Amino acid sequence: MDSCFRRNDKYCFRNRNYMSSAILQKPLRIIVMAQQTSKRPVKATDPAWAWAAYKPSDSAPWNLARAGHLYRRAGFGANWGELQQALSDGPQRTIDKLLKPKIDPASFNRELDQYESSASVDGLRAWWLRRMIQTPHPLLEKMTLFWHSHFAADAAKVKSARLMQQNVQLLRSQALGSLRTMLEGIWCDPAMLLSAAADTNRKARPNENFAKSLFEVFTVGPGGYTERDVREASRAFTGWFVLRSRLRYIEREHDDGAKQIFGRQGKFKGDDVVRVVLEQPATAQRLVRKLYRFFISETEEPDARVLAAPAESFAKDYDIPKLVGTVLRSNLFFSPAAYRRRIKSPVEFSLGIIKGLEETVSTTQLAKDLSKLGQNLYHPPTIHGWSGGRHWLNSSTMAARSNLALALLQGSGPYGAKLNPWLITQKYGASTVESAARFLVELFLQADPEGVVYRTLLKSAQSPADAKPQDRLRRFAHSVTTVAEFNLA
Amino acid sequence: MLCNRKVHRSVAFERFVLVALLAVFGFERTFAALPPAAEWIPKNAVISLEVSNPKALLDMLTGKEATAAVTALPAYKSLMSSAQSQELLTMIGFIEGTLGTDWRTGLAKLTGGGITIAICPEEIFLLIIDAEDEVMLGSIHELFLNIARNDGRGEELASIEGVTAWTFNGKEAHTIIGKRFVLASSAEGLKKVLDLRDKGVGENLTSKASYQAARQAAGPDSAATAFADLSLLKYVPEFSALLEESGGNPLSALAFAGIVEALRESSWLGLGLDVEQSSLVLRASVDGKAGGSSSSAGFALPKKAGQGVLPNLSVPRRLAAISLHRDLHEFYAAKDDLFPERTSGLIFFENMMGIFFSGRDLTSEVLSQAKPEIRLVLAEQEYDAAIGTPQVKLPAFAIIFCLKDAEEFDIVAEEAWQKAVGLINFTRGQQAMPGLIIDRPTQGETRFTVAYFSAVDVEDKSKLEQRFNFRPSVAMPGDYLIFSSSDGLARDLVDALDREMKSSHEALAGTHSALEIDAEQVASILEANRMTLVRGNMVKKGRTQAESEAGIDLMITLIKLAKQLKLSAGTGKDLTQAKLELSLNF
Repeated sequence: MDSCFRRNDKYCFRNRNYMSSAILQKPLRIIVMAQQTSKRPVKATDPAWAWAAYKPSDSAPWNLARAGHLYRRAGFGANWGELQQALSDGPQRTIDKLLKPKIDPASFNRELDQYESSASVDGLRAWWLRRMIQTPHPLLEKMTLFWHSHFAADAAKVKSARLMQQNVQLLRSQALGSLRTMLEGIWCDPAMLLSAAADTNRKARPNENFAKSLFEVFTVGPGGYTERDVREASRAFTGWFVLRSRLRYIEREHDDGAKQIFGRQGKFKGDDVVRVVLEQPATAQRLVRKLYRFFISETEEPDARVLAAPAESFAKDYDIPKLVGTVLRSNLFFSPAAYRRRIKSPVEFSLGIIKGLEETVSTTQLAKDLSKLGQNLYHPPTIHGWSGGRHWLNSSTMAARSNLALALLQGSGPYGAKLNPWLITQKYGASTVESAARFLVELFLQADPEGVVYRTLLKSAQSPADAKPQDRLRRFAHSVTTVAEFNLA
Repeated sequence: MLCNRKVHRSVAFERFVLVALLAVFGFERTFAALPPAAEWIPKNAVISLEVSNPKALLDMLTGKEATAAVTALPAYKSLMSSAQSQELLTMIGFIEGTLGTDWRTGLAKLTGGGITIAICPEEIFLLIIDAEDEVMLGSIHELFLNIARNDGRGEELASIEGVTAWTFNGKEAHTIIGKRFVLASSAEGLKKVLDLRDKGVGENLTSKASYQAARQAAGPDSAATAFADLSLLKYVPEFSALLEESGGNPLSALAFAGIVEALRESSWLGLGLDVEQSSLVLRASVDGKAGGSSSSAGFALPKKAGQGVLPNLSVPRRLAAISLHRDLHEFYAAKDDLFPERTSGLIFFENMMGIFFSGRDLTSEVLSQAKPEIRLVLAEQEYDAAIGTPQVKLPAFAIIFCLKDAEEFDIVAEEAWQKAVGLINFTRGQQAMPGLIIDRPTQGETRFTVAYFSAVDVEDKSKLEQRFNFRPSVAMPGDYLIFSSSDGLARDLVDALDREMKSSHEALAGTHSALEIDAEQVASILEANRMTLVRGNMVKKGRTQAESEAGIDLMITLIKLAKQLKLSAGTGKDLTQAKLELSLNF
């Protein structure tokens, strides 16, 4: 099986001497690996080539590594069956399925919505993780998570599980929908307003908090707006309150006068502000840049010329699935510039293990453990969400990642024995510890490590010799998850 | 005839069955040729268990009524339909065929003389079973030995003390002497037992004074007795840490006062188990007493003869009730000695209480007003359809004090309570959350105060938020002061106390703690919250809905097998004693 991403690629990062960095501390080593750049291919900076649909070729074959890459970015990892199906379907059909799965996720999501209805915020965290594990539409949850970090509402400020549930439901409903519809919902979402301390907005003293967040964080970004734009936009939002956990509009508190925002003048209200801000090219450019970081690479700032075409296209209709589809199908996405160029978030790290081993674990416990790793769902650290990238890693979180992987795989403790690498390897035909170990490397790493790392890794499966196969496989699976490559998406 | 391959495959089950057979049953002693099994237990045994009248236990646990109750369980039917269970049943059938009798009779005959288990130093575990039927004992031993031999582990060992010995797994060693089956966790352990056959009485467990005292306290005629040498067990770090732990927390020190201290002072523990109709009664005794002027548990001990806890209060839908004899004034006055490391926290607590009690000294002006009789009640709630029903149905709880001077203190307590409600309302108001509304309804002749959340503007009254479980109330019938989480329970307690005041009721002399749990009501509230529990279990365990439902339903069904559990603890003349009574529904 050709499992190497670049077996025929001249940009294979195996050619890089990254093993020399093994002497570095592990977090640093992972960061270095994520940032390492071989000489940038000329084609990668050619916008036409970058966004053209990827077509498998001898130099860039559709193989297990690329299938794994697609599932890590467009989902939370894949199991062996999904990887094999992707190999069989080819890239375009696999992406079609990721964007619009054959099984309608609506009934699954309705059932989960029902389960969540009586949950506390802690319960919501657990149910969302369970949804991420079991969903028939992983890209939808991945994008919901993206928007949860973009429109970061903090449950600690909102103090209502019901409002937080509604907030995430809004994000999910438009995660692969329309940014315009999403923004029209966000500006009057009670959780968002409470989290931004914009729950009272009086005519006599307009509350600028939400307008500032809208421009600074959600849309045009720093430098894309003026203080006057903020003042005028906050007048447009006057009259809106969150009282006793409910959105209220008090007519007499609305400033009905003319406002001037981004040079446009009118008696603007909330939806008008959204319309005007979406007319700003900077909005689409900023969102495309952010999605580039999310899907392609967080280590290299893309050339503005590369982003110009998708940003221009996105600005026309703010159609999120169209943009995401373009990104996922692109040459750039399947190029070395994207491969293993993101550090996995704690959610991606843990779900990569769980989904690979085809089970559901205690998500109550998982939510607690993920908060120790820095990703406490429903509690983004600031209005800017999670910074991600190298901020996920330090000596403490690396140790915590290893501990979490161990807890998931050790067969006892809070996660019990639900994840059983030996059973999965047997299911797919492995009969010896050695063949099972090779299978796990294919499943989790697509055999990316080679040379010393690969040999050392496989050798570790042989010990302790007197242990039962399933115990050896548990230890080995843990070793696999502590390899630097596994921490990279 | 079962083929060898089948037998080999079923070894794991056979071992399980063997252990189950050996662990569960017994009959009365019917032979005098051998001395009591306890005389074969070394004197240094740390723990011993003697089932001297197992027939009583066997009749209760495997009798017709119990069997009918268990086999009627949906969970049992589901379990029995599994392949593993079918294999187990096949194995039992095979054993029945070999012994030529049904499993109940076989069990009875195999264990007719009693079962004795002991744990000795150096990790030696001993098991002695006295059978009624020597031939049957030999047959079943031969059967299991053959199975073990097929597995490559069973073998005959070198003669120990002139007796033939075998092993099933290469580690344990066992022998049969007449109708007696003797098993030790090692050959060395078996040798120690066999050594005792020829030695005098002074070398075995029965010659130990603490064992004799424990047996006597447990009741020599009990169906089963147990002895623990606490003076040795205290050398086990985990046990010793457990005894020390509860001293650091004021609440656990208050709740478990008298029990932990007595264990600390004791050198032995004696347990006696009896079957009384459809109840299992376990009596525990220790030789240590928590008492005396220097005792840290003095606040929990009745000072005069005839003093003790009041009977637990009975209210509709009661889940549990606790009655404690605790002198709060004495307890809190000694706080600096009892919890020196908690001083700053307790000072903060005291300052807060100063706000509620308008500057009164907590120790001498507030807690001193309470008599040592404290009672707590937990009950399932009934919800008024006009108000609505919370989605998660929490039990109501209440604490009941008896006041020394109710006329003087009632108004102080009322004021403190209303301040607390005011504080809650102010805090919630700051967070734009709805507050409590205070009302003054009447129950019988008692006017009481209730604070509640209004549900007027709630659209869906079938799934109210959890806060609607709380309608905090304070009531003061007679000399009693009730703080309750709901007005419903407050009303029921007013009625219960009214009945108590009108009837003659006496304290349970010498008892300092009494707990009652009503299992049927516990099952009822679990059923009322079934879907909440199922959902919680799904994300907590990572299970499917069907798996979670099966687990929760099994738990509820098992709880339904019990009727009530009662636990009481107190001090006798020389001993500290506890009694646990479990009434079963069959």
